[in-house]
Amino acid sequence: MANHSQLNFQDASSPIMEELMGFHDHALMVALAICSLVLYILTLMLTEKLSSNTVDAQAIELVWTILPAMVLITLALPSLRILYMMDEINEPDLTLKAIGHQWYWTYEYTDLKNLTFDSYMTPTTDLPLGHFRLLEVDHRVVVPMSSTVRVIVTADDVLHSWAVPTLGVKTDAIPGRLNQTSFLANRPGVYYGQCSEICGANHSFMPIVVEATPLANFESWSSSHPS
Amino acid sequence: QSFKLLGFLDVKNVPCARESVLYGSLASLVMGLGHFLATSRVRRSCDVAVGGYICTMLGYWFYCRYNLAQQRIRQRMIKEGMKNRILFEGTYLDPEKKQTGSERSDS
Repeated sequence: MANHSQLNFQDASSPIMEELMGFHDHALMVALAICSLVLYILTLMLTEKLSSNTVDAQAIELVWTILPAMVLITLALPSLRILYMMDEINEPDLTLKAIGHQWYWTYEYTDLKNLTFDSYMTPTTDLPLGHFRLLEVDHRVVVPMSSTVRVIVTADDVLHSWAVPTLGVKTDAIPGRLNQTSFLANRPGVYYGQCSEICGANHSFMPIVVEATPLANFESWSSSHPS
Repeated sequence: QSFKLLGFLDVKNVPCARESVLYGSLASLVMGLGHFLATSRVRRSCDVAVGGYICTMLGYWFYCRYNLAQQRIRQRMIKEGMKNRILFEGTYLDPEKKQTGSERSDS
């Protein structure tokens, strides 16, 4: 989860999020170079005497056409690489359905047995000591770690969005439509997210909690959970 | 703790960022000063300094990130190899077992 006043990304827990963070660093470095150049040119312009002797300027026109094109290519190539990486067909080990309602999520594990449950936010008054306000839920989404999980996201009423920042996942839940995403949790842990599409009065109070555990723990959890 | 250059680039925590900015600054200083000492033209020396800063910073950034990516790929391969070694130890897939088997057949 994010710490208070955190502006940067949370630590990555999936390979895709690691790639996205790397690309973000790359884009910011290019942005730093451009900002430095613009700052310098601005300083020059402010100290330069105005003259109306310039009729045409072929060289500068060539430079400020080619340079932005190169900058765009520098940004586009890694961006497209990650975009296609996110859409790779990867034979998921588990399929999970996430259905958004006002104002809770329903999860369905229908691969082996019909396991369905609702996930409501734990009210602040019922929160045990040390737990996170507005983030904890009564039933977490348990997934096996180091396994590709496919999530099919939809909604029952209005638009919602299933988002877990540390896994690099954000998928809109649209009524009447099935959107698909997948992720792979690198390591065991508990990952928090929140609904990311305005959906009414309690939009801020329908969090998502993904618990990644070793496969044996996942199997014992699913067998102990009544269908 | 983080130090953000121009308010957005976290040079402490982003790999290769600190070295890129430092080498860029050093190159900028050297090139700008060198050009001024050679030509005594202030304005052009400033242009050379800024150009050198940007080119060196971006050049080192690409070089460092490329090496970092290669290192991470090697780390993943080693990690996968270590996991497979533990899994396959003693089975017919164990490469060390095949090696000792062939040595015995040679002798």
